[in-house]
Amino acid sequence: MTGVVSAPGVDGRRQRSERTRQLIIEAYLALLREDPHVPTSARIAERAGYSVRSVFERFPDLLALRIAATDHALALANAQAPLRDLDGDRATRIRSQVQTRAQTCETWLPLWRALIANHGGSPDLKDRIRMVRTAVMQRLETMYRAELSTLEERERRNMLIALEALTDFETWARMREDHGLPVEQARAIWIEAIDRLLPPTPVS
Amino acid sequence: MSDTPDGTLADEPPPPARVDGRRLRSERTRQLIIEAYMALVRETGQMPTAVQIAERAGYSVRSVFERFPDLTALRIAVTDHAISEARNTGVLRDLDADRLTRIASQVEQRGRGCEHWLPLWRVLTADAVHSPELQQRIRMIRQLIVMRMEMMFRPELSSVSDDVRKKVMLALEALLDFESWARMRELYGLSFEEAAAVWVKSIDRLLPPTPDGP
Repeated sequence: MTGVVSAPGVDGRRQRSERTRQLIIEAYLALLREDPHVPTSARIAERAGYSVRSVFERFPDLLALRIAATDHALALANAQAPLRDLDGDRATRIRSQVQTRAQTCETWLPLWRALIANHGGSPDLKDRIRMVRTAVMQRLETMYRAELSTLEERERRNMLIALEALTDFETWARMREDHGLPVEQARAIWIEAIDRLLPPTPVS
Repeated sequence: MSDTPDGTLADEPPPPARVDGRRLRSERTRQLIIEAYMALVRETGQMPTAVQIAERAGYSVRSVFERFPDLTALRIAVTDHAISEARNTGVLRDLDADRLTRIASQVEQRGRGCEHWLPLWRVLTADAVHSPELQQRIRMIRQLIVMRMEMMFRPELSSVSDDVRKKVMLALEALLDFESWARMRELYGLSFEEAAAVWVKSIDRLLPPTPDGP
């Protein structure tokens, strides 16, 4: 009986706690977008609308919060970038991949920079960086499977490394920030360069 | 005979020897501080503290700050010193050679440059957003890298329109970036030769065809 009566209360508390946790993560990510320096717990608490104590009731330390926020960002970025046009012709696949990658870079560059600059040697955060790079490689491999299948293993690996370097976050940042290119022109540069790098598409 | 602004007499024999000696010693101290900074960055990959720099150089922290108002000023001086050193050692080679020789030569030089300067580059670019002087140095280094590629691949780049040339250069710059080299070596575990081979092949694919010789 007791259990049945108390269940809604417990669930409600759990939901509120989960909501608080989520708002703290979102506050942390919002602050990073504004300033690449890792925000203090006081600033995070203030932005989320909670006390510093509330922050540390949900995360044992700031590193745990950073890891949770990174995981949240990765899940979100993944959901925003579904694989498209897998069966399209070469030009369609290149365009599609560039469009998705450019969108990811535009949206997530500040957080990526913060992660790279401030991982502080944390093995967990370094793992996340590796995860992102692996995901980028896997996507390239999937999108250009037809062309890559014509290469022997080492050549395929080298091609993927070159494609990854070309479409890195900082490459995008340089085109947009240093060279002042609009999104459309920056994408066109990637499209042409990928087309030149990739081997010919085999005739099916 | 007239008084000079600093109060000495115009025809009075100047006492340069002692002043020059002091200046030389001060310049030498400055140089040793810069070298200590660079050595620490190479060893640790981290931005050193004033205490570490002073200890390595064999001076007091006060001596460091007598020559540099703050650590950013020292970081800028280190960068200028590195740019000058890189310019002196990065001689252009094989400019008149065939396409593949020029690509291999460029990759060899750039790969060596990345190996040598990567730790300093990382320290330089960390937090550079807060220093316009450092940002200006970063731009200068990138420009020097681009100018070098433009010289090495002049025949290929001269055969295409400005628009195509710009696109090719942006792609080459991305490919030959410090961090692109670092990922090949650190993340993918490639040897120097393997990493160089990735670049050689990619540059060959990205460059326009070489025009026929005269």
